Amino acid sequence: MSGIAPAGDPVIPDYGQASECVINNGAFCGDWFVDQWSTVFWPPLVDHIYMVVIAVVIGFIIAFVAAVVAYRKKWLAGPIGIVATFLYTLPPLALFQLLVPFTGLTLLTVEIALVCFTLVIIFQAVLSGLAAVPDDVKKSAIGMGLDQRQLMLKVELPLALPSIISGLRIATVLTVSIATIAAFVVDSGLGSPILKAVSSPFNTQFIAAGALAVLLAFVFDGLLVIVGKALTPWTRARVS
Amino acid sequence: MTLSSTDTPTSQTANSAIVFDQVTKLYSGQAAPALDSLDIEVKSGELVCLVGPSGGGKTTALQLVNRIVDLSSGDIRIGDRSIMDIPAIELRRTIGYAIQQSGLFPHYTVAENIATVPNILKWDKARIKKRTSELLELVGLTPVDTWLGRYPSQLSGGQQQRIGIARALAADPPVMLMDEPFGALDPITRMAVQDEFLEIHRAVGKTTLFVTHDIDEAIKMADRIAILKPGGKLAQYGTPAEVLTHPADDFVAEFLGAERGLKRLALTTVGEVLAAKTDSESGLQQDSNSPQVESDLTLREALSAVSAAGAHGALVMDGGSHLGEVTLHDLVNPPAGAVGARSVEGGGS
Repeated sequence: MSGIAPAGDPVIPDYGQASECVINNGAFCGDWFVDQWSTVFWPPLVDHIYMVVIAVVIGFIIAFVAAVVAYRKKWLAGPIGIVATFLYTLPPLALFQLLVPFTGLTLLTVEIALVCFTLVIIFQAVLSGLAAVPDDVKKSAIGMGLDQRQLMLKVELPLALPSIISGLRIATVLTVSIATIAAFVVDSGLGSPILKAVSSPFNTQFIAAGALAVLLAFVFDGLLVIVGKALTPWTRARVS
Repeated sequence: MTLSSTDTPTSQTANSAIVFDQVTKLYSGQAAPALDSLDIEVKSGELVCLVGPSGGGKTTALQLVNRIVDLSSGDIRIGDRSIMDIPAIELRRTIGYAIQQSGLFPHYTVAENIATVPNILKWDKARIKKRTSELLELVGLTPVDTWLGRYPSQLSGGQQQRIGIARALAADPPVMLMDEPFGALDPITRMAVQDEFLEIHRAVGKTTLFVTHDIDEAIKMADRIAILKPGGKLAQYGTPAEVLTHPADDFVAEFLGAERGLKRLALTTVGEVLAAKTDSESGLQQDSNSPQVESDLTLREALSAVSAAGAHGALVMDGGSHLGEVTLHDLVNPPAGAVGARSVEGGGS
């Protein structure tokens, strides 16, 4: 990107008609934020939510299946774990760079990268949740005549839920954050206004977009906490 | 405890005896068998305790019955049918299974835990509800409604174990397997749950195989005791009185311990001695310090009371009424007619 803007091209949008705050490039201009909400912030926010949800859902499905397989076939746990950890350790920007020649500057590139980062977290959470199911519980379940499928669906997975939910929470918050870098690949998500504002530079825009990303992470996390509590009532049973 | 609304022996086959026929289990990679040619029969309705030191194969013997462990050779039959002729999953649903630590599902309420097997067997809701209430009454957790919705974490160890037993009885299995079910309980709770279970056992008459490492528990609970020694060999199989009176070999004698004679006294109650005494003469000198003992105490307990009081005998009471006297001599040398009477009836607290 060229460092210097051509002459006559205003660096700050709406220069000349804007409020005092915008003209002085203040830290945060509320009026401008409200004005621009529907064009600058809302569409990227919606895109961001889609990006995160798609990545976490796909990542969850892949990691969940892998964890159940690894739990059944113990020898697979090591290799799958190593692959997932490797994908997690790649720098996100480097991974984008690697993928672009194959999948182009598309949402697909972004999603593939985001999914890769969720895998190890969700995989480990599901696997350790399953591994922590008490032996006496499994022993009595088998002794009562539950078959393998019933053991998994009625006993092992429900008891692994608290661990699975906490893995999902970490993966989701992480994805909200990493998804802002997607702006390097596609003009989409909250990363997009941040990237533009940083190069402008215009404080209100990147502060607001950044704050929205943080807020979004909190909202997702809160929703998962609520879902988790609804699904695991026994964890809150008190001795009366 | 209410025993009025207990099991209707619907699924009870006429013959639910468990027969071990030359049963051997050799775990792969091990030189010596865990269980070696075990040959015993547990008669219908009988409670048999498997006892022995660790490495005696008692838990293996139990888990062979519901096919958690596979037979190496020999056969096990339940009511004349080989367990190998029944798919393992199906077999297990017809056998009650209770283990140490209860194994209750932490994410299920008491009601859901008890209904585990009935749910798998797709009983209708009304029947499951009725059965759950019956079982909670049977194990003494009343009023039923206060317990149904609780989670295991909200129960004491003894309550969890009672629910574990109720769950094992849920589908009215003709056979019960119990693997040290009371092993994790404190002594007082343990005594109470043992007494309750004996009462339930007498009421519902399930053929029961009961593993314990505690010989006193076996003496208290069992109709017959199978003592296994290291290497999985049967050392002796007999009633508690037989085993205590005539240990088959040095291993059994040693396993029963130096207090074997005293343990034998735990088989008989004071009331039984009193009933068997031929002479109405008490022969008890009226010591002012003779303790009062309830008629359902064992001789061992009564002896302890007499010894503690420094007396020569005891006054036998039943609630408030005075039934008679027993002397130190009666307690230590009970009349022949009284010994072993316990295994027929009585003996609970």
